[in-house]
Amino acid sequence: MPLRERFGGALTRVAGGAGAGEILAGWLRAERSDFVRFNHGRIRQAGTVERAVLELRLISAGRQARHTLTLCGDRGIDDARVDEGIARLRSAIAIAQPDPYLSFSETATRSLHHAPARLASVDEISDAVCGGAQGADLVGFYAGGPLACALISSLGHDHWQETSTWSLEYSIYPGAGGTSGAGIGTDAGAAARDRALKACVAGAQWSADAVRDSITTARRDAEILRRPALRLEPGRYRCYLSPRALADLVEMLGWGGFSARAHANGHSPLSRLRNGEATLDPRVSISEDLLGAGAPLFQADGFMRPPRLELVRAGRYGHSLVSPRSGREFRLPENGAVDSESPEALSIAAGELDERQALARLGTGLEVSNLWYLNFSDRQNCRITGMTRFATLWVENGEPVAPVEVMRFDDSLFRVLGDSLEALTTQRHRLPDTSTYDGRGFGATTAPGALLRELNFTL
Amino acid sequence: MPPDASLELRFVDEQTRGFAVVRGVLQPAHTSSDSGAMVTVRVPGGVGYAASADQSAQGLQWAVDRAHAWALACARAGLLRDVELPRPDACGARHRGPVRTPLPEDAALVELLQTEAAALKCDPRIVHWSASLRLTDTRQRLFVDGELVADQGFRFVEPNLEATADDRQRSQTRSLAGQYNGFCQQGGFEVIERSGMLGGGARIADEALQLLAAPNCPTGRMSLLLMPDQMMLQIHESIGHPLELDRILGDERNFAGTSFVSPDMFGSYRYGSELLDVSFDPDVDAELAGYAVDDEGTLSRRVRLIERGILMRPLGGALSLARARAAGFDLEGTANARANGWHRAPIDRMANINVEPGDATLEEMIAGVERGVLMKTNVSWSIDDSRNKFQFGCEWGQLIEHGRLTHVVRNPNYRGVSATFWRNLARVGDDATVRVLGTPFCGKGEPGQVIRVGHASPACVFDDVDVFGAQD
Repeated sequence: MPLRERFGGALTRVAGGAGAGEILAGWLRAERSDFVRFNHGRIRQAGTVERAVLELRLISAGRQARHTLTLCGDRGIDDARVDEGIARLRSAIAIAQPDPYLSFSETATRSLHHAPARLASVDEISDAVCGGAQGADLVGFYAGGPLACALISSLGHDHWQETSTWSLEYSIYPGAGGTSGAGIGTDAGAAARDRALKACVAGAQWSADAVRDSITTARRDAEILRRPALRLEPGRYRCYLSPRALADLVEMLGWGGFSARAHANGHSPLSRLRNGEATLDPRVSISEDLLGAGAPLFQADGFMRPPRLELVRAGRYGHSLVSPRSGREFRLPENGAVDSESPEALSIAAGELDERQALARLGTGLEVSNLWYLNFSDRQNCRITGMTRFATLWVENGEPVAPVEVMRFDDSLFRVLGDSLEALTTQRHRLPDTSTYDGRGFGATTAPGALLRELNFTL
Repeated sequence: MPPDASLELRFVDEQTRGFAVVRGVLQPAHTSSDSGAMVTVRVPGGVGYAASADQSAQGLQWAVDRAHAWALACARAGLLRDVELPRPDACGARHRGPVRTPLPEDAALVELLQTEAAALKCDPRIVHWSASLRLTDTRQRLFVDGELVADQGFRFVEPNLEATADDRQRSQTRSLAGQYNGFCQQGGFEVIERSGMLGGGARIADEALQLLAAPNCPTGRMSLLLMPDQMMLQIHESIGHPLELDRILGDERNFAGTSFVSPDMFGSYRYGSELLDVSFDPDVDAELAGYAVDDEGTLSRRVRLIERGILMRPLGGALSLARARAAGFDLEGTANARANGWHRAPIDRMANINVEPGDATLEEMIAGVERGVLMKTNVSWSIDDSRNKFQFGCEWGQLIEHGRLTHVVRNPNYRGVSATFWRNLARVGDDATVRVLGTPFCGKGEPGQVIRVGHASPACVFDDVDVFGAQD
């Protein structure tokens, strides 16, 4: 059953629930997701989760209050929960203080986007992944199903976006066998246990062939990881960052890099870029491309977001993400950013290096497939530390020759995407957001690969 | 349901209230109610689950049917085919977390936050300040084949204060016990009193201003005195996660990572110096992840994970232990299979993982350091996927020179390798240095789960650590 049929009724209750002098709004996130974990090429844990979370917001006389509740899909029960939520909000607002930064768009907008797709059955998922993994140590995660986001208000806002997607993110560990229990305490130490090749295949319409082809390719590409690994000394090395690794690095800027509030608070890692003390290489341009990622253009405060916003233009700071609340507090023109002011659809501009020539241009150095566990070690200078992970390879004369034991890097993004940037690839890859902490999402990052003159490794 | 199937129902209800005063403005009130059920079906060789907020008979039947289909798929192509699936050892357990002093009315809590927020804004250079409080009441009920296994209730209290000082050259942030709510416990108003929030606003703001004026942390190998609100993170990342048995069994290799620990190490591997004793302890009063029964129905009890530096047992729930047994490793574990809500299935999680106190006073520890840095309050954390090579940063640093605490330093960081770092543990603080801390934000699992963990620790001294600061 489409999510709109199951949960849309409760939104009607919200739209009609406001009293005189009140504005009532509802912001809904819903999903029905199949989740399957695989380990050693078999199913480890599998199930289905249906969850719909509705945030009610009541505004009256310059005051506001919020209440979040879970919908269950039974119209009678859900209507009662909405009514109880509204009553709770009326009690809260009666004793609330005026909110000087209250902001909710009074321009009623509407949209409807529903893109159903054929998703896999329980057996199809199992057959495609376990069948494809036959004999390989595959560990991974399938997530798929319908996903919806909606906004309703008593002013007439009425937005619903529903789509069905699936993704299989997995790793091939060539050093261990594929039978149950293999790899437990039998590897030659931790260095062998964390050597793997990671891949992701995703889409709307289910394709078992795409899954099998992806696994076949990954198993072939992972063969090089069987070679003895090199242990490198700390120092500065030439590097080719895959699109995924570059995205890992640039996504760190979501931690306040483009947030108007973070700039005002002294928390932004890009304050030096914004005030002109630092610049990036002129070939670096980054935008928030909601349209390209298929993310909703509406947001919880009733405003519309621009389909595309330039955040970094030719190495210089562009626009900040300004939420309506920040706009009022810091007296800035809002641009419809969500309250967290974090990007959801980063898009990094392409360069001029054909990715098929990337290793030849690298010559000798590191090919980094993935970065891991990034954090700021010096936020003021946009210095980031993190680890290499999965298939990081040592390349000589343009040819990968051996895997490399995991290395810690610690370097400033102003340098990495400044003086150290040698080239960006012409090809860009769409990397869907596969995070599931707060539920599945619509976002994606689009990134090229990056050739670096050097990256500073410390441990 | 077929006769060879077993049915588990887990109901979770959670009510949350949040209050915050940010830059002098009381934020809009925000409450939440979340309620739903997780159904787990076990058949020989397979387990499946389905979760829904629809707890009607019809809704639960949908979940049972779906979970059964997954269990059959798992039995055909799953890891559990040769594993004897465990049964709960708890039966009818009832548990309520401690609440000593009732919380006052919401208006009184708001007034308290406004008082501290006003104290935080003591100087024009304080550009950001906030006082916040989150209160969560949770009830969990677990039934297996129609029998009540456990009925547990908890109240979680998370107070925090934060101030950022900025002089247009740089900015520095100081908080009560971390910018991610490091001081969080179970209980009532007594948690707020213990946290240091009452009257803490002026101190936090003063320390942010001190950091603004402080020089960078020096670089070099030296002694490191970690206070409990950084020990918490050190324990969490480099003892807690590597001991999780599901990581050791490989489940998390695609996401959270593996472990440098392998099953053959238990009982013999030297994890740290002889001063290192680490416990899994559900019974420490008010600690955030204290509970009676885990989400697989295993009774929780205090056990030693590391004894006099030797690794003794993993953080493994009943199912993980059964899997390890099937693979030839007969390990003893802990009651730590947990889910973060009705919509997620249990996996091995840390609960309360504590370093046991030693006998050194704080003064003795400082007096014993010739050259070193005292570090407080985590602000940055990064560690490799085997939980070995780490780099951590703190809000607050203070030099120790010739056995005396001297000036404050900003941006203190250190790095090391878990497998050798704990062997350099040189002094362990006494009871007076212990603080009971935790975090509501431990992330792991596919699908992702953010869960509450507790860490109690004394202050500790480590020798020969690679310490450094920020770029000048």
